[in-house]
Amino acid sequence: MDRLNFINPFGVRYQPDMVSGDFYTKNFAKGAAENTIILNLGPQHPSTHGVLRVIVELDGEYVIRAEPVLGYLHRMHDKMGEVKTPWQFLPNMGRVDYLHPIAWNWAHVGAVEMLAGISVPERAEYLRVISCELNRISSHLVWWGAFVMDLGGVTPILYAFEEREKINDILQIVTGSRLTMSYFRFGGVCADADDRFLKLIEQFIPYLRKRLKMYKALVTDNVILRRRLENVGPMGLDICQRYGATGPILRAAGLAKDTRRDIPYGVYSKFAFPIPSGPTDDCYGRYLVRLREIETSLLIIEQAISSLPDGPIVIPKAPKPTFKLPAGESYFAVEGARGQVAVHLVSDGGKTPYRVKLRAPGFSNLSLFAEAARGTLLADAIAILGSLDLVIPEVDR
Amino acid sequence: MELSIASFVQIFVAVLLIIGLMVGNAVVMVYFERKGAGFIQRRPGPYEVGPWGTIQAVCDSMKLLGKQIFVPGNVDWILYFAAPILAFFPVLLLFLPIPFGPYLTGLKVDDGILLILAFAGFGVISNILAGWASNNKFGLLGAARAVSQSIAYEIPMILALLAVVFLSGSLNLSEIVENQGSWPWQWNIFVQPLAFFIYLVSMVGETNRAPFDLPEAESELTAGFHTEYSCMGFALFFLSEYANMLLVSFVCATFFLGGWRGPFLDGFWWTFIKAYVLMLFIVWIRWTFPRVRFDQLLNLNWRWLLPLAIINLWITAVAIKFFD
Amino acid sequence: MPSLDDRIARFKEIGVLAISRHDFSKEGLVLSAVVATYNLLDIAKELFNDGFTLLDVSTLEAAEGFLVTYHFDNMSAPCRIAIRVLAPTDKPTVPSLYPIFQGAEWHERESFDFFGVRFIGNPNLVPLLLPDDFSGPPPLRKSSENVAPLSALGLFGTVETAVPSWENIIAPKTKDA
Repeated sequence: MDRLNFINPFGVRYQPDMVSGDFYTKNFAKGAAENTIILNLGPQHPSTHGVLRVIVELDGEYVIRAEPVLGYLHRMHDKMGEVKTPWQFLPNMGRVDYLHPIAWNWAHVGAVEMLAGISVPERAEYLRVISCELNRISSHLVWWGAFVMDLGGVTPILYAFEEREKINDILQIVTGSRLTMSYFRFGGVCADADDRFLKLIEQFIPYLRKRLKMYKALVTDNVILRRRLENVGPMGLDICQRYGATGPILRAAGLAKDTRRDIPYGVYSKFAFPIPSGPTDDCYGRYLVRLREIETSLLIIEQAISSLPDGPIVIPKAPKPTFKLPAGESYFAVEGARGQVAVHLVSDGGKTPYRVKLRAPGFSNLSLFAEAARGTLLADAIAILGSLDLVIPEVDR
Repeated sequence: MELSIASFVQIFVAVLLIIGLMVGNAVVMVYFERKGAGFIQRRPGPYEVGPWGTIQAVCDSMKLLGKQIFVPGNVDWILYFAAPILAFFPVLLLFLPIPFGPYLTGLKVDDGILLILAFAGFGVISNILAGWASNNKFGLLGAARAVSQSIAYEIPMILALLAVVFLSGSLNLSEIVENQGSWPWQWNIFVQPLAFFIYLVSMVGETNRAPFDLPEAESELTAGFHTEYSCMGFALFFLSEYANMLLVSFVCATFFLGGWRGPFLDGFWWTFIKAYVLMLFIVWIRWTFPRVRFDQLLNLNWRWLLPLAIINLWITAVAIKFFD
Repeated sequence: MPSLDDRIARFKEIGVLAISRHDFSKEGLVLSAVVATYNLLDIAKELFNDGFTLLDVSTLEAAEGFLVTYHFDNMSAPCRIAIRVLAPTDKPTVPSLYPIFQGAEWHERESFDFFGVRFIGNPNLVPLLLPDDFSGPPPLRKSSENVAPLSALGLFGTVETAVPSWENIIAPKTKDA
């Protein structure tokens, strides 16, 4: 009787061999209570944004336990970092997080520059800031659309992609690509900004501000949306500390912690910008924090454009592709759209690094899902999952 | 009612026409839904096949007809195939008592609305069977949701219609239409605005359309009770969903918006215009709002719609008793 | 927020094998400490009470064994600290930080996947990123000719506490073994 697997009408306690499914389902079912359903959400599920798989134990519509299962998009970037030279490894960074590749560019390039003691010309630093912030906006826009789609509103994502299209058009002028950007080089960036690039950005900033007002009127203030998000999935400072959550989740919990401000890298210390920290630590707070971060990024871009200095975009003695890192270690963190992105680089002085460890913010953020989703409704669990802003290639690396 | 050979012929012809209406409605509504969605989402919608993409819906239905019938393992074969048929065929009966025009009624019965409400209950049975028989947990959850939602929203719907029945003093749909005047201010919507509002909300809930599409909530249950259906099985659910939408729109037009009576010239065109405006309204809210949560859906019903409908019915009854 | 000197003193009180200051602009760390396995949980508890959060667990294989590095950062004031534990290659066991930092569960499972380091006390030490039927050596293990000694990696910055000898780091005295 295969149906025993999920109906279980006689109150029989789950036995691992009673459960059909793979290793992870059986492992999860060991702790199941009586009269519950074990449900696999994913790896192919409309609201897991790629190939995340979450096993949930349901009592009716209530989630008793949940366990994310990772690895469906695992590509072993850590190993690739060890067998490739830093130059060869650079394009991988665009593939780790396809929504905010520039932050990963920066983390890797920054770690190498820190270890090798390379300084960067000022114009390149400004271009780094501009491209990173534009990319952050496009990442938040995609999250916004996908999150509202998780809640059943299918229209906003098409509006979000309209804006993202414009950002991609701008970024492709300097980076040459639209998705897996590999813009940074050790000691600078690969292409200079031309007048068209700057002009398009200047047109884009007021346009997006106008659109953000419309989004607030159309979506953010919608009563159904607010009722779906308010008081759903509270994540306080305690859970953030225990799970190492960073980024908008931590800021929504009320702590204005942002690597751009705390440990200023690049030229972020020259700009004045607020760190939005949310009024509430629920899904709605995280939603508001991300939307306000778009405005923050616009502020930074505005300042950077107005004070963009002239000069070279890469240092004269830029490292050749064959350069060797000195022995030692470096840990370089930047603020990605999802939280603190960091690269830990250990070198023994050879051609390739001895160890490359990528710190993905989504990995830590997702690990608290199991605790946050406990006892919520299935629809709330989906909302919580969406509010974490997951990019599965980044979680799995 | 006298059951003569003539009335059998009449019913037979009516059923044939209703099948044509259902299929034609689905084709038209697929086109309008996709164009409407495109308009709301600032994109062109279908435009490739035929002039302005009008042939698109036909191509879609051809594709559904031509697909392989895929049956997952461990399904209950009889129920699995019975469910889409059960979803489709009762809807045919539901259209019989609807007065499309002054003389255009499949079956003039005195208790027409009872017939409609009774057979409308079949829809939820097909949902349960589909969810249960396909041996899929998403299907089962969707079926469970469909049951509680359907039962919940039927009650305020019936109470809202009952208020109109009190006013007209008849369960016969044709008489209800005839009791209303040709001009909009003579329609029941102005006598019973609250009942109209309750019916409007319940009809979206009853047809499982967004924002109340909980039984097939895509982001939660992939496709709910029809997760495991493909090709014609899915197409029948699809047809019956659009037919149900059309039915509740017709009932709404008949009860609240004067049916075939309209300004200048009474006739069946008024019924169709009103019904399709309501259909476009349903399409509009589907592409605009996010989905409500399941407990919010039931709370809305049991805490607001149902008490309001009862109060409305009571006031109507008292008013009829004292002022009539 | 105690000063760095206070923190060093506190760590010494709990017991560390070696503690060193780092140049933040060159290494991205403020402080690093090498800890014996039996002191790890005490140090983590201390850090938790001071408002630190676990950023990641970065393991690497050296000639002496597996060096498990925990990166911590303070929630309120930026202060990145690395705590290192050395686990012998033949029997790599490290106590799990799960009781204090629940987020460590996944980071430890990742190290278990890639290096085969076992974390005692992890509630669910099953493969996380690799498939459950993955056979073969852990993917980040190095072949013997590629393994570098710890001294070649320059990990230890300006050592504050005089380490009695490298032996202490290499083979920590384990109470629980």
